[in-house]
Amino acid sequence: MNRMTATPPAEASVSPAAPAIALNDLTMRFGAGTETPVLAVDRVSFSLAPGEFVSLVGPSGCGKTTILNLLTGLLHEEHEGDVRVLGKKPRSGNPDIAYMLARDSLLPWRTALGNAAFGMEVRGVARPERQARALELLKQVGLGDFADKYPKALSHGMRQRCALARTFALDSTVLLMDEPFGALDAQTKLTLEDVLMDLWSAHRKTVVFVTHDLAEAIALSDRVIVMSARPGRMIADVPVDLPRPRSVRKLQTDHRFHDLYAQLWGLLEQGVTNDE
Amino acid sequence: MSKTVRLTLGHVVFIAAFIGLWEFLSARGILDPTFFGRPSGIVMYLWNGFIVERNLWTDLFYTILAATIAFWGGSLAAILVGLLFAMLPRVHRACEPYLTLFNSMPRIALAPLFLLWFGLGIGSKIALAVSLTFFIVLSSTVAGIKGVNSDHLVLSRALGAKPGQVFFKVTLPSAVPIIFSGLRLGLVYALLGVVGAELIAAEHGLGQVLAYLQSTFDMDGVMALLFLLALLGLSITIAMNYLERKLLVWQ
Ligand SMILES: Nc1ncnc2c1ncn2[C@@H]1O[C@H](COP(=O)(O)OP(=O)(O)OP(=O)(O)O)[C@@H](O)[C@H]1O
Ligand SMILES: [Mg+2]
Repeated sequence: MNRMTATPPAEASVSPAAPAIALNDLTMRFGAGTETPVLAVDRVSFSLAPGEFVSLVGPSGCGKTTILNLLTGLLHEEHEGDVRVLGKKPRSGNPDIAYMLARDSLLPWRTALGNAAFGMEVRGVARPERQARALELLKQVGLGDFADKYPKALSHGMRQRCALARTFALDSTVLLMDEPFGALDAQTKLTLEDVLMDLWSAHRKTVVFVTHDLAEAIALSDRVIVMSARPGRMIADVPVDLPRPRSVRKLQTDHRFHDLYAQLWGLLEQGVTNDE
Repeated sequence: MSKTVRLTLGHVVFIAAFIGLWEFLSARGILDPTFFGRPSGIVMYLWNGFIVERNLWTDLFYTILAATIAFWGGSLAAILVGLLFAMLPRVHRACEPYLTLFNSMPRIALAPLFLLWFGLGIGSKIALAVSLTFFIVLSSTVAGIKGVNSDHLVLSRALGAKPGQVFFKVTLPSAVPIIFSGLRLGLVYALLGVVGAELIAAEHGLGQVLAYLQSTFDMDGVMALLFLLALLGLSITIAMNYLERKLLVWQ
């Protein structure tokens, strides 16, 4: 593993407090005890300081979703190594975590407002409070005028905005996002990345962001973790020393952005080919 | 002229022409009224039945009453059993072969049995109608609950939803459209079951009147009854469409 050693300003400013997320030598198999166990994740270690935004990139099937599911407590398979979220073992329904999937998974029988409030409703936030907060978040993602519309009346981009509102309305300190913009067209994606950056700057969550899009990873993150093809191992942990606040659109013409892109691309290629 | 007005006008003209031709051919003796009835005769029959002698009201009432009871009873039981199956998949698996067996049976064949058990009153036709409606609504309830989007379940579990919350906030609402299409079909079949049982034997009911008219070769009456039944079926469909639009605005 060729861990980058440069210390970016972002990392230096992070307090030495306990990490928000810590993986220590995580190894995980599916179908352990069966004839053909699948080694999905192989000795992965990384940690996130509170408020850090880290992207996870790697070839399909390298265990990115598995790691997120483990952090959420959705997976109950045996694993080796230590996993901590805010110092505690993962458990399902942890109110400290908000999870966002690739597909918007809006409930079609609820309005945008009802969907934005859904997470809070499940977690027992009182009705007036959650309505107010959901509306506030819808305004922040630019859907203020669409609060009473049903998902069928929203475009893909708008639906994903609504899912963002639902996620941020939860006010959890840790955000896990699994290719949230993977299904969007390039232009909509850039717009939503900026929406996400605005939300993140305002709410300062710890984010693990899974993506296949290197440009997206660089534009959003403090660090990018590159994984190899299955079994997923860490190849590199690359700090992104671009100044914040960033505009994802403006970065597209920044040369440092393109240097980082080339560097990560090389690492990723190596991870795809360089494996037994 | 707007499009809908033109369309309605077109239908009116077509129906008028159709009835006029029918009447004309019957009057000329080209179409034998003994087999096809005759529009003026049909109108006369309905006039007599509903306005002069008023005997058809009773039969209409009994048919609608039986179909309504069968529909509500059968659907309610079916939805409850469907929910039970969703909660206890093992019970569902155990019951499935028997349900399939019963459901594959041509239900109308049960009419003689039900007549013996429940007599010529309203009971036997309700039983037959329930035996149709129940299975239709049950299978749509089961299908609806199984068809829940797995992303929604993952999301709910990640949020920490309790099983009751998942059921009432996700599974059940997502099943409503499919359950509703089952209910719509169930209502049509409730009417079918009731009229079918009445045709075989009953004290009252449109089916019983129809069988009697047929046996006395009163073709005007038979045609009038068929028209009435079609009208009944149509109003059910219209009512269900209306309800669906109100209930499922989000679709
Ligand atoms: N429930 C499961 N049972 C068995 N194997 C599984 C299960 N879930 C995932 N796997 C395997 O674990 C490996 C990692 O899967 P995972 O979904 O985490 O990959 P990923 O990195 O998210 O891929 P993608 O980028 O395509 O989403 C894959 O090889 C997959 O086949
Ligand atoms: Mg994945």
